[in-house]
Amino acid sequence: MKDSPIYEDVSHLLKRSQVVFLLIEVLFLFVAFYYWKIQILDYKNYWSQSEANRIREVVVPAPRAVLTDRGGSVVLVNNIASFKASIIRENCKNFEESCRKISLVLGLEEDVLKKRIEKYRSLPLFKPIVVKDNLSLEDVALIEGRKMDLPELVIETEPKRFYPFANLAAHVLGYMQELTPDELRTTFKDRRLGDMVGKTGIENMYESRLAGVDGKIVEVVDSLGRKRDELDRVEPQQSPKLTLALDYDLQAKAEELLAGKEGAIVILEAKTGGVMALASYPTYDPNKFVNRFTPEEWMALANNPDTPLVNRALQGQYSPGSIFKLVMAAAALDTGTITDQTTFFCGGVIEIFGRPFHCWFEPGHGTINFYEAIRQSCNVYFYNLGRRMNIDAIAGYAEQFGLGQRTGIDISGEKEGLVPSTSWKQRTQKTAWYPGETISVAIGQGPLQVTPMQIATMTALIANRGRKVRPHTLLDGSSPTESVKIPAAIFEQVIEGMWRSANAGGTSQGAKVENYDVCSKTGTAQTIGRETAERLGLKPKTHSWFSGFAPRNDPQLVVTVLVEFGGMGGATAAPMAGQLFQLYKAKYHDRQSPAPRN
Amino acid sequence: MIDRVQLREIDWVLIGLLLVNSVIGILLIYSSSQYQAGNFYVRQAIWLLISLGVLFLVLSIDYKILVGFSPYIYVLFILLLIGLLVFGRVIAGAKSWIRLAVFGGQPSELAKVVVLLVLARIFAEFRRTYVSLAFGLLSGAVVFAPMAVVALQPDLGTAISFLPLLLASLVLAGMNRKTLALLLIIAVVAGFVGWNFFLKDYQKQRLTTLVNPGQDPRGSGYHVLQSKIAIGSGGLAGKGFKKGSQSQLRFLPARHTDFIFSVLGEEFGFVGVFFVFLSYFFFLARIFRSIGKSRDRAGIYIVFMAACMLSFQFLINVMMIVGLFPITGVPIPMLSYGGSSLLTTFVVVGLVVNVKMRRFVNV
Repeated sequence: MKDSPIYEDVSHLLKRSQVVFLLIEVLFLFVAFYYWKIQILDYKNYWSQSEANRIREVVVPAPRAVLTDRGGSVVLVNNIASFKASIIRENCKNFEESCRKISLVLGLEEDVLKKRIEKYRSLPLFKPIVVKDNLSLEDVALIEGRKMDLPELVIETEPKRFYPFANLAAHVLGYMQELTPDELRTTFKDRRLGDMVGKTGIENMYESRLAGVDGKIVEVVDSLGRKRDELDRVEPQQSPKLTLALDYDLQAKAEELLAGKEGAIVILEAKTGGVMALASYPTYDPNKFVNRFTPEEWMALANNPDTPLVNRALQGQYSPGSIFKLVMAAAALDTGTITDQTTFFCGGVIEIFGRPFHCWFEPGHGTINFYEAIRQSCNVYFYNLGRRMNIDAIAGYAEQFGLGQRTGIDISGEKEGLVPSTSWKQRTQKTAWYPGETISVAIGQGPLQVTPMQIATMTALIANRGRKVRPHTLLDGSSPTESVKIPAAIFEQVIEGMWRSANAGGTSQGAKVENYDVCSKTGTAQTIGRETAERLGLKPKTHSWFSGFAPRNDPQLVVTVLVEFGGMGGATAAPMAGQLFQLYKAKYHDRQSPAPRN
Repeated sequence: MIDRVQLREIDWVLIGLLLVNSVIGILLIYSSSQYQAGNFYVRQAIWLLISLGVLFLVLSIDYKILVGFSPYIYVLFILLLIGLLVFGRVIAGAKSWIRLAVFGGQPSELAKVVVLLVLARIFAEFRRTYVSLAFGLLSGAVVFAPMAVVALQPDLGTAISFLPLLLASLVLAGMNRKTLALLLIIAVVAGFVGWNFFLKDYQKQRLTTLVNPGQDPRGSGYHVLQSKIAIGSGGLAGKGFKKGSQSQLRFLPARHTDFIFSVLGEEFGFVGVFFVFLSYFFFLARIFRSIGKSRDRAGIYIVFMAACMLSFQFLINVMMIVGLFPITGVPIPMLSYGGSSLLTTFVVVGLVVNVKMRRFVNV
């Protein structure tokens, strides 16, 4: 390299460098000012942002209260741990790539997965979106193993409602479903999206007692949502278990008896109204609701023509048929229309208001007294009562017996039934009641509508000689102590007829249990009028009813059975009830085990 | 090679400032990488010792000799960079790494020193007040060749830090309006062609999110946002050493390299930021003041380009981490983790001291 002159004039170079340095000084000042603005002026704003970045509150759902049967040892509903996989979108490096990987790991269709995520698009990015629940342990292991690879996929555990006996008492226990956005805004403001709440039955009625108090963990997380530290922890609190009045053995037996049929069975503690069994068939498995239905499963259940979701014991409304004769009998005695010695002649048919009314027993019962009329369920005897009584008086007694109104059971969705009266006819059909209709009502036909639970409650009232009960599902539930204004003597007379019906070769003799004094009545409710059936040349289809209690002098339980299209009450319903009385007697009397609290 | 006079003239203050800033860097690296595998601060400390050794090695050779050999080294480096492009493995998204025994290095960093020397050699011969077109084109070609190869690796951050060398040399050599206009036209055309044909999508996105970092908090804007949160939440006094939630909990990306200054801002607050600003400013100011203490044009160009290069990298970095400049992956000399970067800085400072200590030498 050539030598350069040493004392060359380089002052213009120095000047230029000074200008550049000045520029850099200005930039330094500007940048320093900007840092001052961020760190001093906007400090609060950035500080709160950094706090929000690192602190996350995780809710620990409280397990719902356990439900047991009346003995306390049979667990009807509890909770099991369930694993669900969720995607946290803010942890995705590349959303498409994540979806592809996750669909492979979980074995889901990629577009199904994307659709599910799309549904919750409006949620904040850090909120986990459930992509699959009820993971198998293999799935859990697979996901845990790829934790580093897939930070956006997290596994959460939560207690899941579990019904160990599946269908058993489904209509009492009820089912749970995810909150709808509407409910979230109104009834359940403090709950979170995706939470399950009871929709029917006890799960629904006692939601607040079952739900418990959710716990929470306040944790410090890193940018991948991984937990680094725990600042605070509040353990979830489970509510104490609820003991139901339900008796597992009776419930199981009742469902076994109904299997393959359509109908309902109600067993009440006679004195308190505790529901010892409530079966409605066809039924469903509440576990299916917890596990989130596939669309096909839901459609199949909701559109099933046999309506498994309908609680027939509370929501099914049927003609009571001859069961209503118990109301007529008490009403006739109480109004003085007859005494227990009054007899009528049954020739198999009777003409009233110029129209023939038939007894079910075509040859006729001959001259028949009050007790025998109940025992043999003689229609003609009760036609005679109907002719002598006013429909509004009958309606008044029916209402005293609890018909035409809700029983007040602690399960929602109960139907009221229907007790016709002149004012009802005027109101709904704008015509006058004509006396011929009263004759039909006298044997429990016509517009009368009752639910099996109403009949069971009515039977308990008779068993208690006029003291009312309100059915309830919890063992410690209470009943009012009021009574109807009908003398106990009249109930004794009606009960004598019911005793004969079961024990002296009456229509409900199928329910007879040795040494157990069952008192009962059957009913055979026509679903279409006898005349219509004959005109159409059809054999009338009938619902089969039974309702009774036992023992006669110290009533313990009431059994009501309804089998839709079951034929004659005595043929179908009564023998089923007999087995239930038998089971009860064997469990609580013969084995000398402690009697239910009465 | 070094006589006593020269030894006395060694700028120990400058070397001292260099060491102070580098030690601050190691402290920050220690804090920001404590939850990470690999002892980054230990490695950086080893690199610091190596770099210090190299610095004294650089001092022992007269810079004129280095300038004289620079064209050969330049050709060697271009070949090495092209070789990397063809045969190199992709590390951290770019084929910019060469592996030697335990430590890996990025030759593209050291290439800057070589380019600096070549430019010094070119402009040492130049005595007119304004740069001629021929000189402009020649120096441009010298800079753009390695820059293009590095940009293809693709390592945009390092490629961009070649530019201040060219700009500095041209500014110092002086530009008349015609050359300035020509350069502007070239810049616009290059920008247009680059945007449409060469810039990758992520690089474009970085430029667009500069305008609005909030538009996509998980995408490109995310890093700037988190960095601003880190710095802003540090406040006046900071959250304390190793106590920055943003950095310790990994909300900050590349905490020990490109975003090391954010860690400083979060953990030591504005006080810490201001202190490092000051010490950095003294360091740069001292280099700028050394320009006049050079015996020839080559020396002047070396010192000036060194000053501009270091200032540019520092300012770009502290601006990009608060969203005043697109994220380009330019590390802060001395502070950021990275052996090649540290070594380059030491060599550059070594050259400055080299020029300064030999100002009285008669050749």
